[in-house]
Amino acid sequence: MSALQKSLHPAEKYKAGKLGVSLQKIGLGIAVVFLALSLVLGATHGDHWKRFLYSYVIAWAYIFSICVGVFWLVMLHHLVRGRWATVVRRIAESMSMAFPIVFVAGLGFVIPLVAGYQDLYYWAHPDAALCLEKVAAGCGEYLHPTLVHKLGWLSPGFFAGRYVVYGVLYTVMARYFTKKSREQDDSGDPQISERLRVASGPAMIVYALITCFAAFDILMSMAPKWYSTIYGVNFWGSACVGGFSALALMVLGIQRTGRLTHSINQEHYHDIGKWMFAFTFFWAYTAFSQFMLQWYGNMPEETVWYKYRLFGEWQWVSIAILVGFWAFPFVFLMSRWTKRIVPSLVLFAVWQLVFHWLDLYWNVMPSYDWIASFHDGAQIVAGPLTGSPAYHHVGFSALDITVWIGLIGVLLAGFGKNLHGNLIPVKDPTLGLSLAHENL
Amino acid sequence: MSTADATVESHHEDAGKARAAFRAVTRDVAWVAEAPKPHKAWIAVLAIALLMFGIGLYSIFVLVTTGIGVWGNSNTVDWAWDITNFVWWIGIGHAGTLISAVLYLTRQTWRVSINRSAEAMTIFAVMCAGLFPLLHTGRPWFAWWMLPHPNDMQMWPQFRSPLMWDVFAVSTYATTSILFWFMGLVPDLATFRDRCAGRGEKVKAIIYGCLALGWRGSARQWHRYERAYLILAGLATPLVFSVHSVVSFDFATSQLPGWHTTIFPPYFVAGAIFSGFAMVFTLLIPARHLFNLKHIIKDEHVEAACKIMLGTGMMVGLAYATEFFIAWYSGNLFEKFAFVNRAFGPFWWAYFLMVGCNVLVPQAFWFKRVRRAPVIIFVLCILINVGMWFERFVIIATSLARTFLPAQWSSYSPTRYDVGLFVGTIGLFFTLFLLFFRFAPVIAISEVKGAMPEAHAGKKH
Amino acid sequence: MTDETVHETHAVDHGSNGNGEDGRLFGVLAEYDTPGELVEAARKVRDAGYTEFDCYSPFPVHGIDEAMGIKRTILPVLVFGGGATGTLGGLLLQWWCNAYNWPWNISGKPVWSIPANVPIAFETTILLSVFTSFFGMWILNKLPQVWHPFFRNERFNQVTDDAFLLGIEARDRRFDADATPALLKEAGALKVDSVHYDPDPATARMPKWITAFIVASTAFALIPFAIAAKARTSHSTEPHIHIFPDMDFQPKYKSDQAMDLFADGRENRGELAGTVARGSLNADDLFYRGLEAGQWSTGFPKQLEINDALVKRGKNRFEIYCSPCHGYDGRGAGAVPQRVAAGGGAWQARNLVDASNPVVINMPNGQLFNTISNGYNTMMGYAAQIPHADRWAIVLYVRALQRSQNASLDDIPSDHRNGMQMPEAPSR
Repeated sequence: MSALQKSLHPAEKYKAGKLGVSLQKIGLGIAVVFLALSLVLGATHGDHWKRFLYSYVIAWAYIFSICVGVFWLVMLHHLVRGRWATVVRRIAESMSMAFPIVFVAGLGFVIPLVAGYQDLYYWAHPDAALCLEKVAAGCGEYLHPTLVHKLGWLSPGFFAGRYVVYGVLYTVMARYFTKKSREQDDSGDPQISERLRVASGPAMIVYALITCFAAFDILMSMAPKWYSTIYGVNFWGSACVGGFSALALMVLGIQRTGRLTHSINQEHYHDIGKWMFAFTFFWAYTAFSQFMLQWYGNMPEETVWYKYRLFGEWQWVSIAILVGFWAFPFVFLMSRWTKRIVPSLVLFAVWQLVFHWLDLYWNVMPSYDWIASFHDGAQIVAGPLTGSPAYHHVGFSALDITVWIGLIGVLLAGFGKNLHGNLIPVKDPTLGLSLAHENL
Repeated sequence: MSTADATVESHHEDAGKARAAFRAVTRDVAWVAEAPKPHKAWIAVLAIALLMFGIGLYSIFVLVTTGIGVWGNSNTVDWAWDITNFVWWIGIGHAGTLISAVLYLTRQTWRVSINRSAEAMTIFAVMCAGLFPLLHTGRPWFAWWMLPHPNDMQMWPQFRSPLMWDVFAVSTYATTSILFWFMGLVPDLATFRDRCAGRGEKVKAIIYGCLALGWRGSARQWHRYERAYLILAGLATPLVFSVHSVVSFDFATSQLPGWHTTIFPPYFVAGAIFSGFAMVFTLLIPARHLFNLKHIIKDEHVEAACKIMLGTGMMVGLAYATEFFIAWYSGNLFEKFAFVNRAFGPFWWAYFLMVGCNVLVPQAFWFKRVRRAPVIIFVLCILINVGMWFERFVIIATSLARTFLPAQWSSYSPTRYDVGLFVGTIGLFFTLFLLFFRFAPVIAISEVKGAMPEAHAGKKH
Repeated sequence: MTDETVHETHAVDHGSNGNGEDGRLFGVLAEYDTPGELVEAARKVRDAGYTEFDCYSPFPVHGIDEAMGIKRTILPVLVFGGGATGTLGGLLLQWWCNAYNWPWNISGKPVWSIPANVPIAFETTILLSVFTSFFGMWILNKLPQVWHPFFRNERFNQVTDDAFLLGIEARDRRFDADATPALLKEAGALKVDSVHYDPDPATARMPKWITAFIVASTAFALIPFAIAAKARTSHSTEPHIHIFPDMDFQPKYKSDQAMDLFADGRENRGELAGTVARGSLNADDLFYRGLEAGQWSTGFPKQLEINDALVKRGKNRFEIYCSPCHGYDGRGAGAVPQRVAAGGGAWQARNLVDASNPVVINMPNGQLFNTISNGYNTMMGYAAQIPHADRWAIVLYVRALQRSQNASLDDIPSDHRNGMQMPEAPSR
């Protein structure tokens, strides 16, 4: 490996200038327009906001996952004293500083939930705790015996409380890494790198815990009687695919404005591509583990989740994700050339970002159709993942697109807000190595 | 024709220093194998290892001639020490591949001081591991039926079983490890060949020469060699993940509470790396001290390994926490009981040993003073390996001793043949490792040279 | 003939002939001080148009590939091919064995269980990729090649230690005895040697002991296969050797074995008094024995529907079992009596259709049934060969024969009478 160092090109434009402000304005503009449009569409959908809120949760999980994926690179880079990524680290830090605005945007579904909205998460619906048979002083038979005991955990209040905790912790951590990194721009103090390295260990631990639990809370509880211990890890894998893909696009976008054209080259894109490849594989590994183990054990309380994804209309989406999110990118990202030729890498980044959304959609939407049933003459809501798979439609809607664009606008606004000052950590001790980085 | 020390006058002093540094590396590694008499400590440990191996051979003899009944296994606890040991050994083997392959892919040049020993350790660990599935079948002479071969009964293996997946995974892993290790050895065997030839030791030169395949350091050959090395590293990485994942499938595909859980594959892989690193350094910390290799296997490298152990230990801890949470979350009565039983049932002491050694012990590695204290690290590594053994034991024996029907519940205790076989595999491992250490290049000489700053001497920038 | 090289060294020539002469020139070998200089020298050599040259170093020198103009190896493509073969092979193996050749149900999983087949397919992919990579690399590198002419140079020994050498072979088009060493010197070589082939022809041949070793070890390696091949068949009258007895010798008795535990020496304890084996009760007297209230039955069992199909069945069975003696017409002159007559004897089976001596015609159905079952005089009983229902079918057919063999034209329905002249030939 080359121990060569290079210095920053004298003519390099590394100041963000107006870039961040413009991006923020554009982002906010897109957000306002498309979220307003979504509100109109949602109100007229005729299902009391249910479709709107589902689109919202999916799109929010999308923008949240991109921040999660990008932030991971920042922490890892410090933890292992990485060298190649220094040139893109400031961009990644700025992207991860979108956490606060993302969590503010998430209030769009959390507040209705706390205010008593019943149709988003089944555990917030009164029928989840329905007692079918009164026996003296207690309840003899619950509609959902394996759901009732966790309704304390899965209650709107506690859920919202945890949501706030996640938001605060992500923000605090992202802010710490970004702030200290920017401080180093002035002083060039190598001690700052050391302090960040020391901080990255505990940060990783906190990050792992809150990412897993955020996935459990926001996505896994869409099917509240189902469970999978690897779910959080699987979510993190797909988040990193999305994060690295978004990073590639962001870096390209910044270079298109004439900035950082000398500093970031094929070699760095190659490495971003390697991480995209690695996480595509890792996602497939965790997704396969989850699927195969639950298929093999054949226990109804677990296979129910897959039943609604492998039969009926959803089987086509499942196949599309298998081929599109894993097989095709995996085979083509194997070669070093697809990662080094920037247009090719960008194609795969966009491709993976699309399929990452589809994966999240696949995780959430089969729980959309709640089947009604009857008990003692009264209509009750049996909840998600019940009834014949034929009744569970894939159901793409225009809302998915408008809400998604709107929240992408929020994300871009978040990126833009923090894209100021130096776009590259000018006095980072490893900058020279990063600039000279070469792959075999 | 003694030319071993014949040097040529360098043009520059710096170049001369660089070349002297290269020669020093060659010498420092080669002397371990060339020393006329082995180190006293080496002989002592080898004697003990051979004794332990002998105990193992006796245990195998009794087992094969009498049957599985000599073990403590029963109808309820039908897997116990046998599979615990299997998983433990395979896990230990994974560190070698990780050091070789994953640290190569992530360009961690510090790996070059330890990768050769770690790869050798992998191969020996896999050999020890392989004994257990073989012997636990009861009639190991039929083991060849596990490989598909034409026969007049149309009897084929049942490929849908995780136990068959194990056969393929572990054999692929053993094959790949041996090929990768051998490939790395070739340039260094060539070095040994040339040193022996230079000293006139003809027989040794011929043996090393045949093994070195005539390697001559040609740049055209290095090009393909490097490419193959990168490809093998790139293949070995998913292989490492897959092997221990397949081992975890042995448990996770079942329906037993405590076994059937989707996080097993990555959790087992993290645990394997954890225990593997602990074993590598259990071996290398004394070895670098006794054989004066501290300037090659540096303190920073040991420190880096401590951090990896801390990281993977935390991953294992995260898996424990997730399993516990989901056991409650699932509402599954049997799942909840399984976890309560682990902590408060008949094997509670094993559980607390496990948590103590796997979660608490690595916390010491947060502190730099600990990371730079070899003796403490050595002790902690042993504790980690003990903890990881108990983790597998807790998963296997406690879950089996308390399954769905209380009428089925039973106790378990190992017999002397369980213990004897385990002791024997430890003896086998150490015997092989000590022999490797004595006769083969224990550090990747060419890789160390390539990673030194002197490797860029004279280059134009 | 010794060359006048630019810098002759004092190196000892290994294996030159007695006159100190050397063989044909193989090439020149230059040593450089540092890896960097080696790279630059390689670049110069490449730029000068040489192709048959190589650099030798103790580790792969960064940047030398590009300086020498080494083309990227095809190995990754080969590995991809190997891996794809592995995937397909793994899937095919599992499909063929478990889903096609002998499919069997394991815990309700589909016989072609793709999720369950993935792990092994993954491992075979990796295994074949590894083999392709490993063996492909050695083959492309043309190794093992335990000898190379440059090994004759003493400095070459140091390549694996600390030396950086560049060698140009004499067969290169641009090789020149003077210009080539000069170029190397110019590029900064510490020294330039010429390297010759060994003049002694014996060194060009494989040493005898290596040939002997290869032949001997090949022969030894074939021995286990030869033993296995020989062992596939055996004409020995001795029982097999059981190396691992397994459960070949079980402490149990087999059916109808001699056994001295019981006084009668038999393992078979016979039927227990007062018991009937399952399926052996045969309570229906009429169907199983042709008896109705102790008398031969004159009708047919109620289970059987008397129709054309039953008659045809009876005909089919009669012609198989009864016609050899009784003939196809039932008159008792079948193949067996004909055979006896051909041998000079005389024997007739019973005429079943004789109206002038109507013993059989007058016999009740049940008695006919009993004769078929248990035999009469020289006729053996056919109970073991003919199931009960078929016996009744034969009885029915015999009745039909009795009628048809004694019929008059009036017995034939009017619409079938035309064209009837001769009796029908027996069907076969």
